Amino acid sequence: MSPDHSPTDDAKLPLAGLRIVDISNVISLPYASGLLADLGAEVIKVEGHGRLDTSRGGAITSVLCDNRIGDDPWNRIGSFNLLNRGKKSVALDLSKPEGRVVLTDLIKVSDVVMENFTPRVMRNWGLDYPNAAKLRPGLIMVSCSGFGHNGPYSQYPGQATTLEATHGLAAVTGYRGGEPSKAGQSFVDFLATWALVSGTMLGLRYRHRFGTGLWVDVGMYQLGTYMLSESVLDWEANRRLAERIGNRHPFLAPQGCYRCAGDDAWCTVLARDDEEWAALCRITGRPELAIDERFASNDARMANHDAIDTIISAWMAGQTKFGAMETLQAAGVPAGAVFDGRDLHLNEHVKARGLLEMVEFPPERQMGKRRPMIGRPWRLSKTPLAVRGPGPRLGEHNQEILGGVLGYNAERLAELAATGIIATRPTTNARKPVSMSMEERVKSGRLAAWDPDYKQRLGIED
Amino acid sequence: MLGPLALDDLRVLDLSEGIAGPLAARLIGDFGADVIKVEPPDGEIGRRIPPFFRNDPDPEKSLFYLMLNLNKRGITLNLNTEEGAAILRRLASDVDVIVESFSPGYMADRGLDYASLEQENPGLVMTSITPFGQTGPYAHYKGDEITAYATSGMMAISGTADREPLKHGGFPGQYESGMNGFLGTLVALYTRDLTGAGQQVDLSIQDIIASSLVLNQPYYSFAGGIQGRRHAEGSNFGQVMPCKDGYFVAQPGGGVTWDGIADFFGKPEMKEHRFADVAERVRHGPELDQVILDATKDRTMAEMFKTASEKYRMLIGIVQTPEDLANCEHLAARGYFEEVEHPVVGRIKVPFHLWNMSASKSTYRRAAPLLGQHNDEIYGAMLGYDAAALRARGVI
Repeated sequence: MSPDHSPTDDAKLPLAGLRIVDISNVISLPYASGLLADLGAEVIKVEGHGRLDTSRGGAITSVLCDNRIGDDPWNRIGSFNLLNRGKKSVALDLSKPEGRVVLTDLIKVSDVVMENFTPRVMRNWGLDYPNAAKLRPGLIMVSCSGFGHNGPYSQYPGQATTLEATHGLAAVTGYRGGEPSKAGQSFVDFLATWALVSGTMLGLRYRHRFGTGLWVDVGMYQLGTYMLSESVLDWEANRRLAERIGNRHPFLAPQGCYRCAGDDAWCTVLARDDEEWAALCRITGRPELAIDERFASNDARMANHDAIDTIISAWMAGQTKFGAMETLQAAGVPAGAVFDGRDLHLNEHVKARGLLEMVEFPPERQMGKRRPMIGRPWRLSKTPLAVRGPGPRLGEHNQEILGGVLGYNAERLAELAATGIIATRPTTNARKPVSMSMEERVKSGRLAAWDPDYKQRLGIED
Repeated sequence: MLGPLALDDLRVLDLSEGIAGPLAARLIGDFGADVIKVEPPDGEIGRRIPPFFRNDPDPEKSLFYLMLNLNKRGITLNLNTEEGAAILRRLASDVDVIVESFSPGYMADRGLDYASLEQENPGLVMTSITPFGQTGPYAHYKGDEITAYATSGMMAISGTADREPLKHGGFPGQYESGMNGFLGTLVALYTRDLTGAGQQVDLSIQDIIASSLVLNQPYYSFAGGIQGRRHAEGSNFGQVMPCKDGYFVAQPGGGVTWDGIADFFGKPEMKEHRFADVAERVRHGPELDQVILDATKDRTMAEMFKTASEKYRMLIGIVQTPEDLANCEHLAARGYFEEVEHPVVGRIKVPFHLWNMSASKSTYRRAAPLLGQHNDEIYGAMLGYDAAALRARGVI
């Protein structure tokens, strides 16, 4: 899992020495700046104590560490710590002019500013790109919003879970012949994450070569529609509208997701040509079907897909999901077991790839000694990267950043604390975390299952 | 007037096929790089992927290919001949980036793996995008969109609990992988700018989709919980619901109160405790659905989207089709589409700009190459080979 990271290692990381002010909330941009922290940047999360980032509680009802509310639930949510890994936290009241003075001072000493407010907010504060760039020559500003900063919808509120309908994904997602369906995760958030890190890297290389900064304006709607490009072109060229076809392939057959032996166990499989089809027939014990005229060509298989589903289903029912996957792949047939959250942690291939990294937590966090979390999906052969630490406690670095980086004296820091401009606890009533036992969560259908022994399985017993 | 672009000093070889690799290479080109696409003599798989322009399965008419290979020049090269592999080694000695999507081992079998190419070109960045990555017990497994969705954990939480796991429609995982191929390349290039050293970037499509599970994965590692698919009980508020001419999805949160949502629907009874209270709302789900269905049966998607967004600042989505996207005035105002003039297909409007920038903008410069279109230009004029002789020997 993650290699040991001493300060010397950190100094060798590609973004070592760069400072990022991250004023973002929720998922897409916090994850992006978290990945930039993995790359070595000093990322300062500027967040409100009067208006908490929803990933500290509220809208994102992810589970608390060990499902225990404790004294500071806003610091102990698993997904918060994943998204905000390796950052420093300054809790600042940006609704007050005095808070915005501090933000302005931070921008003056930073290389990158990242924000995902509705477009009018930074403009109203006089901190939109043209103004912020005056504070710090060469500044790179990265903005993420629902619809981008211009165009008729630019001021519309937007979040991934409603955007996935508007950007076209829901229209093509759903069981065959059924209604449009939402995705299982807030899909476009992650597209935005990749775009935001890419835009930052482009800006850094541009600055490195030409000495000037730039502004990156990511609109999640626009980005989401891009993933439907071939369907937009199909409409443009052929006036054909993509339909909801469940798990079938738009132009290859067969393809599907079939029930295996075991609880909620499934395996997907497809055949992309006659050779893969013949191998699939052999494995399912029906070699004669490879030359059966009902199935002998892709067109024939498309036409007789229901009959093929019956044959594959019968075979799958007697296999475990991983057994089916291994047997089919050994015969050269693309197949994939449906992994659940447990499989992601325990599967030998995912382990060998090192997608999940063990992150150490200091004892005062009361989150156990270490927890695995998602690293990043690019392995660089000569630049070992790792999550550099958990997400910060609210306001954990107020003194370090305002005193150490900005040079505010003790008197000024005390005044900022006394007037509530900075804080280390929420001053608002964040929505109370859900108090529900894991057993109840399973019973009510919020969870499919619960492993009481998950720490033993993960090897993270305290 | 175009200013300089962040990547306009780079040359790229795109050996990849299909969707993810070609998109990664195209994005490098969009930001200024000179990208040369290297295809087998009969063309890469992407030329055979539907949909086709006017439904004509001609290798120059795949709409996927036309879109994913903008801003590239194209040559053919048979890597299964010794001379072909030698030519590739020569090309690789003078480029900044190679993007490839062959099965692990294919490049090594031809002496074209990173360790070999690096000898001649220590600054080379080689980006490899495959279903399960270059290492690990599944490295040689075959994969496609559905297997990536299954093995990433995404499918297990998509669809409803009473039915089979459901993949998203289309090929969003392949696009997402193309974006990550681009991103991984940028990280390696920025590192090279500092150190001078190139490296290999190894991407597994399974890892890429799994990296979206930032709410699901910690459920297990912090509490042992395993998420499943949605149970179709309680209210459908927050899910896709019907209206007069289609479907919409609304949700609480953002800048609106529950009372504001009730006002948007024009249903004062929604302000009653049985609906206003979060826990009570779940208990009275079917009643709430009925109230909302009654409120929306005569309202259109366009009106609801505009009213909710502008007047109530409420989170609402409408189920738009590809036709709606093609005609969207907002996308047009963002400058999203480019008019492409293609020698075979003619003029066609293509989705292009994934995001906007104040400088170093993604820039459309040329249509996708015809098969071997630049063989003479690149093999002849640039490298000094006799292109006709290479063709006669089956090398290109």
